[in-house]
Amino acid sequence: MGVATRHLNRAILSGTEHPPQVALLRAAQPIADPSPRWDTGPVRVLLDQAMARYATDRAAADAWLAPRLHATLRLTRGEAADKGLWAYLALVVAPDYVLWRHIPTGTDESRRAAVVQAARFAGANSVQAFARLWWAAEMFRDGADYRPVEVACSNQDVLNTALRLDIMEHRPTAMAVLRVLQQLTAGGAPRPGDQVNSLCRAIGIAGSTLMYETLGPDQLPDERELLLWIDEADSAPPAPWERLPDGPDDGEVPAASVAALTRLFENINEHLGQLRDRRGVATGV
Amino acid sequence: MNRTIYPYPVLRGRTDVEVTRVRLDGVELEFAGIGISQRTVALAVAGRDEWQEAAIEIRAELPETEIADGPWSELVCVAVLEEAATNVRTVHRLTKDRGSGTWQGTVRMARSRHHSRAGLRVQVVATVGGIPGRRIGGSESDWVLDLHAKAPQREQESPAVVEVDFRDGPHSWLRPMKDAPWFVDTAGGDMPVVYLNQAVEGLTTLLSGKGGPAAKATAALAGAKIESDVWEAMFHAAVGDVEADEEGRPRMPTGWRESVLQTMLPDVLPGLSPSDAIVEFSARREEGYGWAELQSRVQYAAALRAQLPKQLANAMRATVRPEGEDR
Repeated sequence: MGVATRHLNRAILSGTEHPPQVALLRAAQPIADPSPRWDTGPVRVLLDQAMARYATDRAAADAWLAPRLHATLRLTRGEAADKGLWAYLALVVAPDYVLWRHIPTGTDESRRAAVVQAARFAGANSVQAFARLWWAAEMFRDGADYRPVEVACSNQDVLNTALRLDIMEHRPTAMAVLRVLQQLTAGGAPRPGDQVNSLCRAIGIAGSTLMYETLGPDQLPDERELLLWIDEADSAPPAPWERLPDGPDDGEVPAASVAALTRLFENINEHLGQLRDRRGVATGV
Repeated sequence: MNRTIYPYPVLRGRTDVEVTRVRLDGVELEFAGIGISQRTVALAVAGRDEWQEAAIEIRAELPETEIADGPWSELVCVAVLEEAATNVRTVHRLTKDRGSGTWQGTVRMARSRHHSRAGLRVQVVATVGGIPGRRIGGSESDWVLDLHAKAPQREQESPAVVEVDFRDGPHSWLRPMKDAPWFVDTAGGDMPVVYLNQAVEGLTTLLSGKGGPAAKATAALAGAKIESDVWEAMFHAAVGDVEADEEGRPRMPTGWRESVLQTMLPDVLPGLSPSDAIVEFSARREEGYGWAELQSRVQYAAALRAQLPKQLANAMRATVRPEGEDR
């Protein structure tokens, strides 16, 4: 990590220079485990495919890539907490992807030379280019089912704020928030992302007096299934491109808990809606 | 639960929690691994590194007489195990033991879901005024379950010291600083690392503190100066890692960052509670007012922590006395 940040200068962040591969490789800590799951080849293939598919809409690549990256890079949470791993991916394996996905475009930035935020290369797991996708997939999957991950990652507001919120650490809460988001989107609500952001904030505030874990209890994941799935990385075929891969079958989120919390969050959202309307009337908008 | 005001009745009495027994994959952890006064469990005790699941038995004592007379119903006591680095928060229900009146249970901690240290606390939840799931109380300080600690010690904020040749050593990035006696590296994600330069002749011998009283005092003085640099670096690293909460207010970090900030902030911004001081510090960093003055205060606080004034006085005495001029 230390070495990674030291090599992040303006030339690299703006894409005019490549990161110094030799120096970085020499400084990188080799992983002792000989398992092929540490092979970065399959990840590289995925990233190339993502850039080809979403050449015109790079933000849309997140929803495609997150589940496939998670199913390709099979890690425990303990392993994924290592920021050095993600910095290695960003600086040595795929600096071009980080630039492609995160270099600012548009009018405001074009006056200054556009640079990628350094934290996209080496930084917090909610910001770093690959860590944010892997963690989103880990926290929003419903056991082996990656469909909720697609929902979460196709909304940049959710993806950008959700990983920073403690409430999302409880799976039924995360699933219930996605349910409300889907309802808003289906109902044609204007800027559903904004609404979900304010809903998340309200849920967080209500969470200081309400304990969602007791209102909608979760089950502990099946550790053995997860470790089995990680071990299978050696023999598993590459993640499919057209349909979703299967995640570790370590237990679904209890449906009753999700339903109970969805009802609660719908109520909170309704109150927020009333507040918004009242404010709208008061200011004459 | 004291500082926040709740819009419903909460427990006033104390809730205490204690770890009574720990098993790693079914094998009992030596009792030496459980530090009751430090509220810490050292899970790497006796080099047992290959376990997959820790079963942590805990016992919580709630203010039972207050509960019996209070307006709460459907009261539940749960243990909360969390680690921010792996986004893990698991909740385990405790059951009330009829004999002792305490709440007991076993928290199952999967090693693969944790990275370095997890916090364990107890939360009391009940139905109040018809609303279920209200938080009405909890333990005030967390227990720490440390995956890498061999002994239950709480304050492990001492960074690693690496002796290395800056000029000809393996770290090419240290080469430009070949004349520096030491370098405190905070760029890494975790604890700072102190590099001592073996290229500076006699430095490691000096710091080993062998020799007469004057040599010892000089070693202590140099050590205190290094330590002061480390405290300063750790303070800035900790402040740099302060994240905003849901409402955009800076939030106290965890682990060594928290203990560094808790110990230094009262000297940096006297008169403010650590959490208020963080808000003030972040505001000044963003807006720039009083920033230069704060830097001096950080240096001052770091020097105090490192006992620099004391070591300086000792060194002066030790070097002056042999001359025998003031007798």
